Amino acid sequence: MPYFKTNTEWYEQSSLLLKARPTTTRITSKYSVLKPTASKVQKRQKYAAKVAAKSKSTTDTSSPPPQSQNLEEPTATFTLKTYDPISGACLQYETTKAAEVGRLIGSLGRLGRYMAALPEVAEELSVSTENAGISTPAVEKDTKAGASAADPKAGGGGGKKKKKGKK
Amino acid sequence: MAGDHMETDEFFSKLTDLFEYNRKKGHGTIYLTQKRLTHDEVETLSSTRVLDDPLWDTHPDNPLPVLIRASNNASSKRSGTNRPGTDRDNIDKIKLSTVVQSDKLDTFYARYAEVCKAGMSGLKKRDRKKGKKDKKKKKVGPAESKS
Repeated sequence: MPYFKTNTEWYEQSSLLLKARPTTTRITSKYSVLKPTASKVQKRQKYAAKVAAKSKSTTDTSSPPPQSQNLEEPTATFTLKTYDPISGACLQYETTKAAEVGRLIGSLGRLGRYMAALPEVAEELSVSTENAGISTPAVEKDTKAGASAADPKAGGGGGKKKKKGKK
Repeated sequence: MAGDHMETDEFFSKLTDLFEYNRKKGHGTIYLTQKRLTHDEVETLSSTRVLDDPLWDTHPDNPLPVLIRASNNASSKRSGTNRPGTDRDNIDKIKLSTVVQSDKLDTFYARYAEVCKAGMSGLKKRDRKKGKKDKKKKKVGPAESKS
């Protein structure tokens, strides 16, 4: 059960899983606020001491005084988990940033469209065409790409690989 | 649980309360789940069709509704121990659920995002000002040492 490093990666893999098993796959998002454990508090104390010592040794450049963060401050995390009990596939992404919540709920909504068996959103189509434009800077390649695009749409990925090879 | 799903408006107001409750408590967890609702679909499907087409669920005839669930973490009081971490209270499980029809998905998720953004206040805020603050302090620092 991997934790992905980026939310786009999580989204892509989850969408693939949902396409394959739209009925059994579920997405659980967990918002968790926890008091720090004793060891975490200890770590924070050590870190605070280290920062204080460092600022003392280099007084002339004077790094900002350590933000006396409350050592007992609870840690909040937001974890997204896509799980399919039949195949056992479990894809996870975790963040602590509030700025990402909106984007993540947006991708939950797009994944919800797969669950509802609705066609993909128009936005995504425009994104894919943008990508195609970026990856085909030369005119010659464009014509070839157009020829390959005449083949089934699933071949798009293959076309991109070929272009990369030529570069 | 089947049959007592809430209306969207009620779900959102209860979800807001749930986040608010969590904030007051200062710690705790909220679980949000979404999955395809196939309860009715499976019953009406004849088994022969499933056998003929095992992958029927990847291309259903009609768009299906999505089930959204939300809950908190229940906890039970532990007695007889005085170790740290065992001083928790009895907290009942709060369960919310709603069914979103496929045509209302977009509007639902727009509201859902708002509620979640407002509710998840414990997460780290974007600290853009950090760099600026540092510069200011650096400027202030030497000035003080000179005087």
